[in-house]
Amino acid sequence: MSEQHSRRFSAPTLMRFPFLQGLLFPLLVIAIWEYLSHRSAAYAYAFVPIEEIWQSLLRLGTSGELFVNMTATLRTAATGLVIGSSVGVLVGVLMGVSRIVDTLVGPLYHAIRQVPLIGWIPLIGLWFGNGLFSKTLIVCLASFYPMVLNTYEGIRNVDKCHREVGRIFRLGHWQTFRHVLMPAALPFIVTGLMQALAFSWISTVGSELLFSAGPGLGGLMQTAQAASRMDVVVLCVACIGVMGFAMNHGLSHLSRRMLRWRNVR
Amino acid sequence: MSDIKKKALAILKERTVLLLSPLALFLLWTWACDRGIFPEQLLVSPARVLDAFVELYDSGEVQMHFHNSLYRLGIGFSIGASLGLGFGILMALSRVVENLFLPFFTAIRQVPSIAFIPLLILIFGVEETFKIVIVAKAAFFPVALASYDAVKGVPRTYFEIAQVYKLPTFTLVRQIILPATIPPILTGFRLSLSRSWMVLVAAELLAADSGIGQMMEMGRQMFRIDIVMVGVAITGLVGYALDRSFKLAERRLIKWKFA
Amino acid sequence: MNAKSEIDLSLYTRTDNIEGALSIRSLGKSYRIEDKTIPVLENINLDIAPGTFVSIVGPSGCGKSTLLRLIVGLDNDYSGDILLDDKRISSTSLDRGIVFQDHRLFPWKTVEENIGLALYNHDIPIDEKRQRVADHIRLVNLAGFEKAYPHQLSGGMAQRAAIARALVNQPKILLLDEPLGALDALTRVYLQQELQRIWLQHRSTVIMVTHDVEEAVYLGDEVIVMDAHPGRIKHRVHVPLSHPRDRAAPVLRELKEEILAELIHAPLEETLAP
Repeated sequence: MSEQHSRRFSAPTLMRFPFLQGLLFPLLVIAIWEYLSHRSAAYAYAFVPIEEIWQSLLRLGTSGELFVNMTATLRTAATGLVIGSSVGVLVGVLMGVSRIVDTLVGPLYHAIRQVPLIGWIPLIGLWFGNGLFSKTLIVCLASFYPMVLNTYEGIRNVDKCHREVGRIFRLGHWQTFRHVLMPAALPFIVTGLMQALAFSWISTVGSELLFSAGPGLGGLMQTAQAASRMDVVVLCVACIGVMGFAMNHGLSHLSRRMLRWRNVR
Repeated sequence: MSDIKKKALAILKERTVLLLSPLALFLLWTWACDRGIFPEQLLVSPARVLDAFVELYDSGEVQMHFHNSLYRLGIGFSIGASLGLGFGILMALSRVVENLFLPFFTAIRQVPSIAFIPLLILIFGVEETFKIVIVAKAAFFPVALASYDAVKGVPRTYFEIAQVYKLPTFTLVRQIILPATIPPILTGFRLSLSRSWMVLVAAELLAADSGIGQMMEMGRQMFRIDIVMVGVAITGLVGYALDRSFKLAERRLIKWKFA
Repeated sequence: MNAKSEIDLSLYTRTDNIEGALSIRSLGKSYRIEDKTIPVLENINLDIAPGTFVSIVGPSGCGKSTLLRLIVGLDNDYSGDILLDDKRISSTSLDRGIVFQDHRLFPWKTVEENIGLALYNHDIPIDEKRQRVADHIRLVNLAGFEKAYPHQLSGGMAQRAAIARALVNQPKILLLDEPLGALDALTRVYLQQELQRIWLQHRSTVIMVTHDVEEAVYLGDEVIVMDAHPGRIKHRVHVPLSHPRDRAAPVLRELKEEILAELIHAPLEETLAP
């Protein structure tokens, strides 16, 4: 009698949970890191042991130093984002609504946009110094560009059908703007805001690295690097990543609520 | 006037109006410098910027910086983009690879490339390696993401058609998968290249002994704004040129889409 | 018949029937494409008594939708005269309402906000506005869906909301541009009955463009048959049946056959020959 046992592999726990699989590689990286840090004094200079990183976290956390720098960076990013995007929406709306403004300002905007943000940094540094103003200005610029573009597109792309309904009910200019144009453009504006958020975060960190005066995670990182404190640097990198992710997630959530009238099917 | 003439006139009018405000700004700039409204440290006329460029060109400096920057960009981008392409495709094709690497990559992606600069300086020092690594990091993610999305986005029906007609794998890849995925992957390459260029200039601003970024930083320290502006102009032009050439390549390679 | 909605809405019924007379004289419209002039409507002459329901049928390209756009005032480039109650029309007006084939509700507004929008420029106190909106939502049987967004409504429901929006101003004349064209057959039949019921309560002048000849004779007091290239009026048929109508009435069927025959270019004499 030959029995054919169908070999059924009971899948190991690892295969069953993709989440655990996801942890594998990071854990490997951490293990390699830890190994390198103990290998020699020279390596310890670059790869500090996890223990030290943890200690620094406790130290900076309890002393409030970490918190101070986190809030400083957050504040710069938020200020720049709010100012830059508001101005951006305003310019985008004006360009979208008025043909005259579009013809006059449009080409100017596109010409200036060619100058990359990184190019503005040394210029602004020369003109306005190393302080908070320069940093905030850079962040404003970074949020400005995507907002103008997306708002403009949003307003220009309002369906003719909707405009006609406005005409049928004799809606005035302001009424049309408030009830037809802006809501129709909102999805585009929100897309622009997500981009502006990402750019503002990147440019905040960048400008803090390059203009090292004042508090901020970038500045903290820069100082730590100069003093060869890898533990603080790693800490800052982690903070930056987590904060960026949280803000992105939060905005995503908010935008879904604001746009709940959309057909999500 | 005939219709053709009318149209030509309209286009000419449109083009001239388009140049109106940039031209006005340019003239304002030159005028402000001539009148000496701003001190020399803050603003110099376009003519002076051009002079500075010629000065740097004659001394061979600008070529050296340009060459060094482009060299780093080339190597870093090639490494980062090819790794990105490989990983992106692999992750899209294999569930296992995706589960292993995607979370880690997503986490790293949250951190802007420039934020890694101090970290990488501590590990690699301020030599060439560090700059190449950071360019590679910046180049990696847009390409990986684009290829991942592109391969995942190939409709299941394409594979089914290949099955029905019993196409060999090579034909499947070459005739079906490649054309379907090349457009988004090319766009990914293009975005990755411009981002890498920006990150490189930023890295050079912070810590370098040569390169366009370093040239700008040196100009800033010496209060030579004309040199800074030459650097800004070069940065913008190179970025624009890279972007444009990629767009051209896109049009050429995927004629079927734009036809 | 929803008895409740009849009682509530009597105050919206036009009992006087002296307003809403439409007069069109020598109306012509053409488009310019490159160097060519393409006539869309030619020498349209029409007189419609107040409170009449007029259906317009015709082949594609006969300009029926264009005609409606001219009457509602979305397009002002035409030759000839369009008069409402002996006054030349100019641009759009709250006196002339329209319902399109695509409901054109604003996706970002709820049903009641959409209907309320029609009253923004209507000079009545805000309480009366709110009451009107509520009444008209009930009129079209959408009670309970006041706070729904258009994407949550079915095609038929959205179209009913669009009808309510067009009526809430009590326009003198209501234009319907293939209002049921985008709906499935069952919904169409149901909404045809609804349209009849709603119109019987409002009694404004109605002009409805439709592809469906059966719908045209069921709802209309008169059916205008149009011809294409260029668009002109071929024939006017009177429907001698009082409202409310029975869909199965034989006279309706006869008229439908007659009109269909005309649209397919078979002369009337031939079809009646023994």
